[in-house]
Amino acid sequence: MVITPSAPLLAVEKLSVFYDQFRAVDSVDLTVTPGEIVSIIGANGAGKSSFLKAIVGQGGRVAGSIRFDGQDIAAWPTSRIVGAGIALVPEGRRLFPTLTVEENLRLGWDVGRRGGMTAEEVFDLFPMLREKRRVPAGQLSGGQQQMVALGRALLSDPRLMLCDEISLGLAPAIVNDLYALLEKINRRGIGIVLVEQDISRALNVAHRFYCFLEGRVSLAGVPRATGRETVMKHYFGS
Amino acid sequence: MIDTIANVLLQGILLGGLYALFALGLSFSMGVMRFVNIAHGDFIVLVSFLLLVLTTALGLNVFVALILVLPVTFAGGFLLQRFLLQRAAGSDVLLPLLITFGLSIIIQNGLLQTFGADSHVLAGAGTLQTASIALTSGIYIGVLPLLTLLTAVALVLGLDRLLNYTRLGSHIRAVADDVAAADLIGLSSGRVYALAMGIVGVTVAIAACFMGLNMNFDPTSGPDRLLIAFEAVVLGGLGSLWGTLAGGIVLGIAQTVGAHFDTAWQLIIGHVVFLVLFLLRPQGLFPKY
Repeated sequence: MVITPSAPLLAVEKLSVFYDQFRAVDSVDLTVTPGEIVSIIGANGAGKSSFLKAIVGQGGRVAGSIRFDGQDIAAWPTSRIVGAGIALVPEGRRLFPTLTVEENLRLGWDVGRRGGMTAEEVFDLFPMLREKRRVPAGQLSGGQQQMVALGRALLSDPRLMLCDEISLGLAPAIVNDLYALLEKINRRGIGIVLVEQDISRALNVAHRFYCFLEGRVSLAGVPRATGRETVMKHYFGS
Repeated sequence: MIDTIANVLLQGILLGGLYALFALGLSFSMGVMRFVNIAHGDFIVLVSFLLLVLTTALGLNVFVALILVLPVTFAGGFLLQRFLLQRAAGSDVLLPLLITFGLSIIIQNGLLQTFGADSHVLAGAGTLQTASIALTSGIYIGVLPLLTLLTAVALVLGLDRLLNYTRLGSHIRAVADDVAAADLIGLSSGRVYALAMGIVGVTVAIAACFMGLNMNFDPTSGPDRLLIAFEAVVLGGLGSLWGTLAGGIVLGIAQTVGAHFDTAWQLIIGHVVFLVLFLLRPQGLFPKY
């Protein structure tokens, strides 16, 4: 696939994230163009989750610039960032266990851009959720919870979705479905940043990828143009 | 004999309505916001004095004064949470305890300086305060205690509907479930907490109005009200508003039974019943957590 150059949807420059003295992310440059799927791979503790959280204004103290659709959002509160069209699908799903499936989904609408998908359309995407709409989210299986987490993000009508480890702890068949769905979402023109420990999945679906190592970008490129050995070398460090 | 037992039970239930009113705001902030407000009783007393001023200085009917005060206490709760209590959010439990303990002392001394140590009672409700209904030849119920109980039931219903059937309610429950997750998805927990505390402010004003009509209050009455409220919340089970109503009624009945034998026993019996029930069922009658 050829990426035509266009104005980036997300442009991160020299972003560092600090937790007290510890620098979890170190001068990272990263861009996402509209409609692109960008994967971030890296070992545990490479700074991937801290990076995603920093984009939505959560987690550690940040330095550097984060531009979304031309605006510097680095100092914005999360509610404003989400309202502008960035949705985080957090690691571990983070649904509200006592709220019903439908209430969890509607929260996405409440915090979002107030357009786009409705809860009914999410049920069309995930038919098995429809009969569980009044069930507390805490009673769902992991896969169903991940569907609700994705649906919640979709209801906020995002232009960019940040997905943190959506395959974690799920059966391969379910992960296949979720990835098929991500590509479907992407075809609607929604940009996707995918943080993943499963390297082959992450590289299969991505237009471009970044490899993080100890808070820095150790490698960036196009999956098909990059050899597996090169990736592994930069994944673990030499 | 039957009449006496029925009468004692009935008066106890009615008294329990007032205790439930004291406790509902505390129940909301403890169960939903997971924070213990030591100044809760003092807030109630503070608003009672505000109502006292409005009814005596301006000659307003007490319920008109209450309606005027509701937006003020909503704003008061909102601002208190936004600019003071929120700063302690996410810390351990000690900080909110200390802050509200300090507020309690400030309110008591401020009221003492302004109004002196005399005790007061709210008037301005017309004949409501003395009217009663004869159920049988031997059993009378006061209109005011009945109205108090009905208000408590209505308030529980209202809060329950708000929590379970409104958008704000789902936001409050979401933040109660997982504050950090709420912030991650852009649901600003600070704003939700402030609105929830505004709602607590509304319940405080309603409790203040009925406390002032039903019993004497002075600037140092707050801690006594807090103790009753705590006992009702714990008896009922944390997080359950209907449980809090039940807890208040259990305390009301216990006190009325105690007072029936000797008025000196009223408070003691209430506390003893609380302790015994707490030992038997520490999770409360209708625990949610």
